[in-house]
Amino acid sequence: MGIRINPNPMADLLTGIGLDQQQANQAIQELSTGKKVNQPSDDPAAVAGLIVNNAQTSQVNAYLSNISTLQDSLQEADSNLNSVVTSLTQAISLGTEGANGTLNQTDRNALVQQVNGIQQQILDYANQSFEGNYLFAGTAVNTAPFVADPSSTSGVNYVGNSGVNSVEIGDGQTVPANLPGNQLFTASGSDVFQALTDLSSALSSGSNVPAAETEVQNAFNYISAQRSFYGSTLDRLNTASSFLNQETTQLAQEQNNLVGVDMATAASQLTQAETALNGAMAAGGKISQTSLLNYLT
Amino acid sequence: MSTLFGALSIAVRSLYAQEGAIETTSNNISNVDTPGYSRETPILSEAPPLDLGQISIGNGVDFGGVQSIRDNILDLRIDQESQQQNQLTSYVNYMNQVQSLFNETQGSGLSDSINSFFNSFQQLADNPTDTPTRQAVISAGQDLASAFQQTGQQLTTIQQGADQEVGQTVQQINADTTQLADLNQQISCLVPNSEQADMLEDNQYQVLNNLSQLVDTAVTHTSNGSLTVTTTNGTALVAGGQSFALSTETNASTGFQDVFSQGSDVTSTFTGGQLAGLLEARDQSIPSVRTSLDNLAAGIVNAVNSQSLKGYDLNADKGVDFFQPVVQPSPGSNAGEAENMAVAITDPSQVAASSIAGPQGEGDNANALALANIQNEAVVSGQTATDFYSDLVSTVGNDVSTSTDEQESVGLVLTQLQNQQSNTSGVSLDEEAANLILYQRAYEAAAEVVSAINSLTNDVIQSI
Repeated sequence: MGIRINPNPMADLLTGIGLDQQQANQAIQELSTGKKVNQPSDDPAAVAGLIVNNAQTSQVNAYLSNISTLQDSLQEADSNLNSVVTSLTQAISLGTEGANGTLNQTDRNALVQQVNGIQQQILDYANQSFEGNYLFAGTAVNTAPFVADPSSTSGVNYVGNSGVNSVEIGDGQTVPANLPGNQLFTASGSDVFQALTDLSSALSSGSNVPAAETEVQNAFNYISAQRSFYGSTLDRLNTASSFLNQETTQLAQEQNNLVGVDMATAASQLTQAETALNGAMAAGGKISQTSLLNYLT
Repeated sequence: MSTLFGALSIAVRSLYAQEGAIETTSNNISNVDTPGYSRETPILSEAPPLDLGQISIGNGVDFGGVQSIRDNILDLRIDQESQQQNQLTSYVNYMNQVQSLFNETQGSGLSDSINSFFNSFQQLADNPTDTPTRQAVISAGQDLASAFQQTGQQLTTIQQGADQEVGQTVQQINADTTQLADLNQQISCLVPNSEQADMLEDNQYQVLNNLSQLVDTAVTHTSNGSLTVTTTNGTALVAGGQSFALSTETNASTGFQDVFSQGSDVTSTFTGGQLAGLLEARDQSIPSVRTSLDNLAAGIVNAVNSQSLKGYDLNADKGVDFFQPVVQPSPGSNAGEAENMAVAITDPSQVAASSIAGPQGEGDNANALALANIQNEAVVSGQTATDFYSDLVSTVGNDVSTSTDEQESVGLVLTQLQNQQSNTSGVSLDEEAANLILYQRAYEAAAEVVSAINSLTNDVIQSI
């Protein structure tokens, strides 16, 4: 008698069908989720990479959100300072006008009124808040930083602090988020309120007007120079933001490489698996159709 | 001297023998689909010849019963592979549940909560005195804590599932060993190789194979046909007509069932079968995942708390613990931390965003930034929370992937062996049909001989 062949190949066939079915299911899952990795065991290293990628993406998004918040507040502060500068230009013209010897006391009193008005205006600008935070209070953002005080020589007291907060715009990269008001408006030698108070009293008395005007001019120059902080910081933020946007794209790309599916490959795997499955099932249909018993009569 | 009646008795013997063979074929055909059945062949042998001095005359055929065709070595290998396959299957079954807790590709898992928590400190740094932003930090902390709690609880649930199955498996093992002992008892009373003994041997094999799927077995065949079964580490299961039941007892410290045999704890001695897979998942792999999870939770809690203590809150008060401090059940162990993780503060003003003491310090954001940056600092085993967590997930994934691959390859080997077994022992209808023709023709021929002798004796009688 020859080699005995397994008379019942059904079990073998079922194993084959099971494996084909598994491959087809895998391909279907990949196609339907758009991911070639659908659980950690599919590719443990890719999932580990994905977790790190998620953390990086989340941080980049946090930096982008920091930048956007900071941009808004810096722009608001800068536009306020722009108004301050415009007001100071007006004060300087008033000084020039007041230095003209032909003006009488009444004329000069009118100018004094205007200068006092400008001082009040600048006080308002200096106490501007943005989304509930005073822009020029240092880090004491909950209280109005400048308080009118007739007993003080400049007429205004600074009650904020000199604190500067940092904001993170990249791993380990921070930018200062604010300029404290005492650095902008009440710096010694360039005190805006002192200069305007001096101009006001000079116009009122009619003496030393040119000197007071120069003082205002100095304050004007000083504030204009300080404004460059906002320009340069906003530039840095723009650069950082476009860098981070690129990084977002790269991270998304990397994520796709890690777990994304190649549709063409998955589709052809599905076709292959289904062909094999059909073959196996067709073979199953043939089993036991023929038997010696059919030929015995 | 041979006689006509001698020839008649030879023909009758042949009729009996062919009947026996046809009966065997019929039995094979009837059992073509019976699980565990191994085909039988009739034992036909030449009858001892009649010795008449100088010459000896053939004496026909003897029907010596039937023989089961089985390969004991192959059976043994099948049992061993079954042990391994079932061990892997039940192990993979539970570890698959574990990995689904960390299925980051489908958005489940801890990484979103960890990232959101640290992001909330970044937002706080943008706006350190804003109460809704502070509240958001507390909420993100609560989300993180509940993510850890849930993962810890689900690990416990999975472990309890495995534990329950341990109990059921032990009961099934006991049912199988009882049955084997009964079969042993019956077999030892029968004539070896008798048809009845063969039938019981098939049953024995079938029960033994079931048992091997549940637990690792070492089998010794004894001369009277009974089987002695122990686990590979020597725990007695069946000896002759006696079975030794395993029992379970809840361990007070783990809350899970330990397995006992005749009074001694054998929980850690199993090396194969479903039971070993369940115990490995319940007692080793899941606890190891839990330890990592606890350490990760403790690392985050400790780092966030110690940074919080360095800062100042919105009321210019010294910072307090953000999370409930870690309570170590024993030195160096963070056991239970994941399930106990909780945010300690409820008042948003208590978030320590500032690092400047005293009045007007509250608007400072340096401590909030430092808290956000804990995300990039080593907080557990010299790794960042993200790196440690990604290691944990890839370890679980690797474990499942390796075990699944192994399970598949063992499955293929098993199929191969079962094929081989079927090659040897399976009933082929074609073969049986061919045999049937053979035996039928032989029977017809023997009947023809009887009829010829009948006619010859008739001739003799009439001639008298």
